[in-house]
Amino acid sequence: MSEVLLRLTGVSVRHEVYDEAGAVSHGVPRPRDVTAEVRAGEVVLLLGPSGCGKSTLTLTLNGLIPQVVGSRMDGTVTVAGTGTTATTVPALARDVAMVFQDPDAQIVTATVLDEVCFGPENLLLPAGEVLARAEEALRRVGLWERRGDDPEHLSGGGRQRLAIACALALRTPVLVLDEPTANLDPAGVEEVYRTLREIAADRDRAVLLVEHNLDAAIGFVDRVLVLDADGRVAFDGPARATLTGHVDEMVALGVWLPVATLAALRLRAAGITLEPLPLTPGELATALDTVPVLPAPRDRPAVDVAAGTAILVRDLTVHRGGRPVLHSVSLSVAAGEFVAVAGANGAGKTTLAQAIAGVTGARRGTVRVTGQAGFVFQNPEHQFLTNRVEDELAYGLKVLRRPPAEIDARVGDLLDRLGLRELREVHPFLLSGGQKRRLSVGTALVTRPKVLVLDEPTFGQDRERATELLDLLDCLHSDGTTVVVVSHDMHLIAEYATRLIVLADGRVIADGRPADVYADDAVLAAAGLRPPPIAQAARALTHHPGWHGVTRLADLPVLEPTR
Amino acid sequence: MSDSIGSLRSYNPVVKVLAPVPAMIVTALSRDPWTPAVFAVIALVMLLVGGGLRGRALLWTIAGPPLLVALLTVSFGVWTDPGLVDHTTALLTLGPFTLWSGALETGLATGLRVVAVMLLALIAGLTTDGTDLVRSMIAHLRMPYRIGYAGFAAMRFVPRFRRDLEIIRLAHRVRGVDGGRGPVATLRRYNGYAVPLLAGAMRHGDRVSLAMEARGFGAFRTRTERRHVPLRLRDAVLALWLLAVCLVPHLLSGVLG
Repeated sequence: MSEVLLRLTGVSVRHEVYDEAGAVSHGVPRPRDVTAEVRAGEVVLLLGPSGCGKSTLTLTLNGLIPQVVGSRMDGTVTVAGTGTTATTVPALARDVAMVFQDPDAQIVTATVLDEVCFGPENLLLPAGEVLARAEEALRRVGLWERRGDDPEHLSGGGRQRLAIACALALRTPVLVLDEPTANLDPAGVEEVYRTLREIAADRDRAVLLVEHNLDAAIGFVDRVLVLDADGRVAFDGPARATLTGHVDEMVALGVWLPVATLAALRLRAAGITLEPLPLTPGELATALDTVPVLPAPRDRPAVDVAAGTAILVRDLTVHRGGRPVLHSVSLSVAAGEFVAVAGANGAGKTTLAQAIAGVTGARRGTVRVTGQAGFVFQNPEHQFLTNRVEDELAYGLKVLRRPPAEIDARVGDLLDRLGLRELREVHPFLLSGGQKRRLSVGTALVTRPKVLVLDEPTFGQDRERATELLDLLDCLHSDGTTVVVVSHDMHLIAEYATRLIVLADGRVIADGRPADVYADDAVLAAAGLRPPPIAQAARALTHHPGWHGVTRLADLPVLEPTR
Repeated sequence: MSDSIGSLRSYNPVVKVLAPVPAMIVTALSRDPWTPAVFAVIALVMLLVGGGLRGRALLWTIAGPPLLVALLTVSFGVWTDPGLVDHTTALLTLGPFTLWSGALETGLATGLRVVAVMLLALIAGLTTDGTDLVRSMIAHLRMPYRIGYAGFAAMRFVPRFRRDLEIIRLAHRVRGVDGGRGPVATLRRYNGYAVPLLAGAMRHGDRVSLAMEARGFGAFRTRTERRHVPLRLRDAVLALWLLAVCLVPHLLSGVLG
């Protein structure tokens, strides 16, 4: 057995909470009483439902908790034999390197090379050694050729690879990554995971990874450590055996499973048992091909599209800073559609969405929207104007000078619908991430717009919150609202959208049903998109041609109710 | 970056910032138009010869000072309290307004002083890289590196702040915020931007500082400096030259009586 590099013994963390008078107390422990170890050469994936303390646990591994972040920690953490409370956080940088979620919040200097040198310089290594390490790390992540560039000029995936290079340059025995791809577009996720796979293959350090995108991570993880909603260790064991052997418990815990596994569970409910339980699209395809006969996939209910046009865009051209962002875009959206807009970063998605909702003015071409349009920004906080949740909801109606009775009725209705009634007097900034998101959607809904436009509403959120939001949008859509969502989450688009518009370099390069767009490899490559996992599996099937068009869980056959 | 002795870029940033200070003080305290004129010309020549300026910077360095002097001369000529200058020659009378030669002279001297101080500051400003200045301050002024790097981090904040403000402004407009025109409404509007802007900035700052500590920032009293900003004989010569220039008013008073 190789050496234990990371040892946690009875670790509980209680964050400081402030009551209204400003007095400090400590909240409930998340995580709670975690005992675990990670050995050299191991890649461990930390899983658990939202709010169970995964990120908090990563912060204990280099002493940021309890030394820097205000919180109380019980138990001990030792890294390569050193207790994290026995020395300072910066001194622990020799043993633990961290990669955080937001690549922008990790950049300190003005060039790629300086950035990678920053860590080794802090450790007072000789200049020659600093450069040698920087070069090795940059070559490892494929950024050596760009060493003279400003990190700002890298793509999101590039910046996160830079953050990984910075961690590698510290040459620590332990590497910790906290949701490193949560803020990236599909191309960026792909890039980062290619890099991580290579690093994991070296087997020369202990890696602890927090990630909700299991589809990407499952391929190179040795072991999973699963926390339950109370922050306790629920499972700790080899990745495959643990996930497949306790799959029903995982679902009950609220842990997100790979989409291929979810598909298998759905099929199991319909009486089709796949053995062994698949974890990746490839395995799902192989398992499905061993089943001699599959029932036909479910027909999609015809989209109930009203005859009227909700959005009409004609020859829309937008320039920003002298550069064209949109080139003569034309499209029309019928009332009642659920439209997703996808494309690589910088393709003009946000600009198009803002133009549709009338957020931005100066432009060439015409945009006509039937009825009123509401717009929800990527960061909910940017939209908040008042000090109480209910005032926030009422604001849009007060602007329209509606009678107080009507305002009260609509606000009350929305508070219930969004699950915010208990919190109606709270300051919007004090809500949790998911609550803030719901409130920001509520502020746009209160005036009952015919068209609702949302800019990357699931960005930086975990699957649970993303699904919660999409379910809300789905409800609105069923009630007849036209929904336009900018997103690069292919899985969510596949499950919910009735139409997918793909932009590349300011032009529409594809526009159709998501299933048809996913079948077009040229379009996907041009826009830096990947088909969702189910579509990948379906298209790889050799024995079931009738399934090639399957792209989403909802397409899978379900058990016919027996009468 | 040129290391030629004729290039101002090759001189130590701290020396370039500090050495012109005495000359700036002498200029600011002078009353005659000659002292600032001489300083302005010296600084301008140094910049044109050693600054390696190009494009817009070059254009503004050449055209900016005369324009500014002209502007200040005329505006002082118009706005100076006539009571102070009515013993000088009246150049022009337009209805109730009289243009006094003394007013123009005051304006000229003031304009020259402003321009001279500006040009002296630009000796460092146009030829120095911000990061090198901070490095040099850490190395040669013994400034704690924590302060220097806080400065770097702050510089990276600026574009982010601007971007955030732009988005918040749009977001508030979408919500129907329209306090109307005029300074009070504008102030109220900006007040509304402050909370989201600060909340975002504080969270970002927090994350940056956690990330920095996680990368060993503050582990030791000093850090490795890969790029050494030299302090050489030429810097001493530059400092002595800029000090010697301070004797100009003394010499001038001898020549001009």
